[in-house]
Amino acid sequence: MTTIELPTRQRVDRLERMWQPEPGVLGWLTTTDHKRIGLLYFWTTLVLFGLGGAEALTMRTQLASPNNNVVGPSTYDQLFTMHGVTMIFFFIIPMTTGAFGNYLIPLMIGARDMAFPRMNALSFWVFLASGLFLYIGFAAGSGPDGAWFGYVPLTTRAFDPGRGEDFYALAIIFNGISSSLASANFIVTMFKMRAPGMSFNRMPTFCYAFLAASFGLLFALPALSADCIYLWLDRNHGTHFFDVAKGGSTLLWQHLFWFFGHPEVYILIVPAFGIATAIIPAFTQRKIVAYPLIAIAELLVVFIGFGVWAHHMFTVGLPTITVVFFAAATAMVVIPSAIQVFSWCMSLITGMPRFKTPLLFIAGFIFMFVNGGLTGLMFVAIPFDQQVHNTYFVIAHFHYIIFGAAVFPIFGGMYYWFPKVTGKLYLERPGQISFWLIFVGTNLLFFPMYIVGLLGMPREIYTYAPSTGWSAYNLAETIGGYLTAFGILALLGNLVVSYRRGEPAGPDPWNGPTLEWATSSPPPEYNFAVIPTVTSAYANWDVADRERDARNLADGAMVLDQGHETAVSSVADGRFSEIVEMPHSSPWPPILAFCLAMVFTGLVIGKIGLAAIFALLCLVSLGGWHWKEPQEA
Amino acid sequence: MSELAVPRTTQARNARAVARAAAERIGFPAGWWGMLMLIASEGTLMGSFVATYWYLRLRAPHWPPAGIPDPKVVVPMAMAGVLLTTSVPMQLASLAVRAGRLTATRLWLLLAFVVQSGYLAYELADYMDELHRTAMTRDAYSSIYFLLLGADHAHVFIGLLLELWLLLKLVRGLTMYRLNATVAIAWYWHFVNLLTVIVIGTLTSVNVV
Amino acid sequence: MRRAAFLQWIGLLVAPLTWIAQHAIGQGISQVSCSEANKTWGVSNTEWQIVLLVVAGLLILLSEGAAIVAYRATRAQGDYDSPPPLGRIQLISIASMCTNVLFLVIVLLDGIASIVDIACRQS
Repeated sequence: MTTIELPTRQRVDRLERMWQPEPGVLGWLTTTDHKRIGLLYFWTTLVLFGLGGAEALTMRTQLASPNNNVVGPSTYDQLFTMHGVTMIFFFIIPMTTGAFGNYLIPLMIGARDMAFPRMNALSFWVFLASGLFLYIGFAAGSGPDGAWFGYVPLTTRAFDPGRGEDFYALAIIFNGISSSLASANFIVTMFKMRAPGMSFNRMPTFCYAFLAASFGLLFALPALSADCIYLWLDRNHGTHFFDVAKGGSTLLWQHLFWFFGHPEVYILIVPAFGIATAIIPAFTQRKIVAYPLIAIAELLVVFIGFGVWAHHMFTVGLPTITVVFFAAATAMVVIPSAIQVFSWCMSLITGMPRFKTPLLFIAGFIFMFVNGGLTGLMFVAIPFDQQVHNTYFVIAHFHYIIFGAAVFPIFGGMYYWFPKVTGKLYLERPGQISFWLIFVGTNLLFFPMYIVGLLGMPREIYTYAPSTGWSAYNLAETIGGYLTAFGILALLGNLVVSYRRGEPAGPDPWNGPTLEWATSSPPPEYNFAVIPTVTSAYANWDVADRERDARNLADGAMVLDQGHETAVSSVADGRFSEIVEMPHSSPWPPILAFCLAMVFTGLVIGKIGLAAIFALLCLVSLGGWHWKEPQEA
Repeated sequence: MSELAVPRTTQARNARAVARAAAERIGFPAGWWGMLMLIASEGTLMGSFVATYWYLRLRAPHWPPAGIPDPKVVVPMAMAGVLLTTSVPMQLASLAVRAGRLTATRLWLLLAFVVQSGYLAYELADYMDELHRTAMTRDAYSSIYFLLLGADHAHVFIGLLLELWLLLKLVRGLTMYRLNATVAIAWYWHFVNLLTVIVIGTLTSVNVV
Repeated sequence: MRRAAFLQWIGLLVAPLTWIAQHAIGQGISQVSCSEANKTWGVSNTEWQIVLLVVAGLLILLSEGAAIVAYRATRAQGDYDSPPPLGRIQLISIASMCTNVLFLVIVLLDGIASIVDIACRQS
């Protein structure tokens, strides 16, 4: 066990006092602690996951038999729209970046907090507000119904006169602000706040994955925001961006949407790759194979992913000389993912794998990802793509990827880091059972979709005739859906029971490779009593460095307790640069998020004056935020 | 690796201490990287608007559409040029603050602020005038024209607010926070000035390309 | 070491930036050359794509060369586990040597195809 033992009581007490949070609910409202913010994201996204799942199950129930009437067509339209928007923007992104990223990255890089702690809190409150914004609209009967990709002209005022698509356009922009702020925060944190000595070649692959996703979000979201601005203006202020008769273009929506939308799908899965690459070394007790290639593959898959957007548009009539650019890039974007798959498999084969629940989920993930990835590659063949476009084949492909490659590692990660966050061990046997339920359930749910898609079943239809021959497949899928839901409930139930009755975990039950395992479970507010010494990418396995930390603590070196302090380093080589005072708790993030929410509310109900007043209040809040500097707080 | 060899930059309380601490640290501080992230994000947003302009233009048989006069070139480009020159006092302010010369910093910032405010006042009056003559809702050309130009003016306005805030803060003296802010806001202005040249260049390109 | 440090950034960054430019401009040119408005613009797809292909190809080869030089200059003294800056230079140059090949393949594929294919046939 390589942890910090026998801390000097006085120094630790001083740190405890310095980093003491506000008590009670006020403490949670004004928190800037990345761990608390991570937990807030975690619970909020679980609720939204439940809502998205309920939407899915309702659709599956409707489709279980032909000519069914559980829900009508216009409700069904809202269900698939809300399901897509919820799962992508309000579950996967905030769960991976907001929950896992926030909680773990400062710990993994040996820092005491993110680079911009108050902005981190703001990201959460804006995210929460945007989710409430969308769902209040839905509950009030104004749910968007134009699918998650909102194609014009269907979503223009002429064809979709209700308020639903206005909620869509504004909620997406609103949510995008949260993600953009969070990405900027992650990038600067991973560049500047790494423990001294942690150069780029010593940064954990988990961090490379999140760095890639953050860069992706930063550059992709503005294109979507531009698109939604055009949509909102066309719908509400008579502009003509998408109006062909007046010189606009309907393809403009698609180009901008998929310029965002394709990087988005890599952004969904790359953090999950990071989770997988963190779990495998722990359960094989060996370094990951080909570390430089994995590190660059994370960045490369997002980067090349910016150049493939028109492969979602192979049926709109682009010239073939245009289409080849996207087909070429799409064919090549597979390669970084393949490199990672080979590395994971080789690490498992050449290590000594213990198939505990987290590793089971990663094994399931590799299976599902290869499946979905291979069918993704099939779309490069344009004639094939044109045949299956808008059928259930596509739905099967992306659910194998999103559920298999994003959600499976999330579940695995929940089990893997459960001991760190709660200080308790989860129950292993029920964990394995929950894996098998989910694995069998998702394959039963999604595999028949490939077949029924090839048989011609289109997307987004609320029912079908018995003569199509699709009934048996749909029934199987619905059974799979319920089985999956049951498995997820089993997983969550396991975690709840384990929280109450689990064995104490101690700081490092897995002999994990990275620094989060070098501190207590759960970590103290200040993460590390001593800024860790780092000389490799597997810092927790470096016994000499961890012993050095213990000696430093005894000597009072690198404790950084003169204030709310943390270390800042240079970007490439992690050379120790300065010691800075961090902001502590602040009421301004939730206040600013509230003002911003009122701006969007004013816009969606058509009260521009209200929006303008609250925009002014946003500026006032920013003034309040920056009034006191960190060293004055 | 010793914490004694490294400055505690937030503890510096006077201009000289701040300048010394800034000189001792390695690389750019977190605040400057944060501004770079903002520039990347906003740059991509504005880039999307510029790309939209070209996308719509390259599929239009006539641009501007019949009935809309060609945009003026000389005055807008000259005004963009004037704005671009304010990068000089902004950069000088950035250099002065890192040398701990507080009065010079304040004066350069004030000079830039006056010219930039004058620019925006003129441009807003011009914008409102053009809007009265050609509605934004006329067609796709006017939609992208007024959105792109309006977004550029909005970025200039935000820059003015940032500068005003900084000037007020600098009245009370220099801290590392304010030094970082000065350099970051100078970069913001370089971004806005370059952006304005690109935007005006795009919108007036009809006469040239 | 200084030269290797500089070359490592060339090796890492030039190829991806080149590909972005060739991709954005190339697909843009192909759309323009097939659009209604090309009667006024008069853009020749083939000419543009040849120029883009040649320039992009040369820049990517340059980038790869830089990565290889940076790698060879430092490999005798250590590998990517070594302390920085050597370890960091090794990491970045190893990664770049692989990624640059990939970018070259993409550029060759789409450059050649956009020249050889029938212009303006709807896909």
